Amino acid sequence: MNNQDEFGIRIRQALNDGAERLDYRTVLRLEQARTAALARQRRTGPATVRLPALRLATAGAPSIDEDRGAWGWLRGAGWVTPLLALAIGFVAISHWQEELEIERLAALDFAVLLDDGPLEAYADQGFGVLLQAERRSER
Amino acid sequence: MATREELSEFLAGVERRAFKQAVFAVRDESHALDIVQDAMMKIAENYGDRPAAELPPLFTRILQNTIHDFFRRSKVRSTWVTLFSSLTSEDDPDADPLETLEASGDTRTESTETSYQREQIVAIIEEEVARLPARQREAFLLRYWEDLDTAEAAAAMGCSEGSVKTHCSRATHALAKALRERGVTL
Repeated sequence: MNNQDEFGIRIRQALNDGAERLDYRTVLRLEQARTAALARQRRTGPATVRLPALRLATAGAPSIDEDRGAWGWLRGAGWVTPLLALAIGFVAISHWQEELEIERLAALDFAVLLDDGPLEAYADQGFGVLLQAERRSER
Repeated sequence: MATREELSEFLAGVERRAFKQAVFAVRDESHALDIVQDAMMKIAENYGDRPAAELPPLFTRILQNTIHDFFRRSKVRSTWVTLFSSLTSEDDPDADPLETLEASGDTRTESTETSYQREQIVAIIEEEVARLPARQREAFLLRYWEDLDTAEAAAAMGCSEGSVKTHCSRATHALAKALRERGVTL
């Protein structure tokens, strides 16, 4: 070891001493900086692999996956049921409206054939409804 | 790949030396802390997936580059400040130009206030290291504080091994002379 290296080592010891005597604020700041840096550490490992779900070891017993498949449709039906109910509701209302219209036209036909009403009554929605109401009350 | 614990351990091991090196270079603790934080962020973000063994030379290089970046930014900033101050100097006739020189004045008396002899010596050495020319100090610290060999120091500094040896030799002589003049014997 030459004089230069020896001198360098002595300086290193002094500098290490100085580095150990940092005030607590500086030490705290360095610690915070380290924590912040670690939070942003780059990670490029293998992509996250989705592991198969747990299977029971018992032979013949349904696995958790199978069990989930068997009852899974119930969970899936969660959003289908309201849509189905809505569609059925529309069909029922449409059918009911159709029945009303047929009934109204039948009342008009009946009135026109008996000369109880003019032909223009076909164009009068209110007249049809009136006749319909009268027929109901007669029953 | 370095685990979080390995990176944490590595940073904890180098952060104080890095801070001191930055202080020697920029002579301002606040800026030095910013520089160390920047360097830590860079190594974690860009090289956090490297093996732990590769981290020391990478961090050394990053720290040196961050210090150089600081000086580059300061130079640009001071250019603008000089430009604007030359335009506005007439607005403040009471301004004392000596006020700006106070911060960079002689700080040799600071250490004499301390009571412990060892502390005094350490402070004097730190001051003298900080006074070395930038490249000499960089080479000296990399070689003798970071314990890099000449080739590693040259790689970190981006220069030839011959330059590192020259810088180290000059730094050693300048430091030894300055310490002798101040009555410090090692």
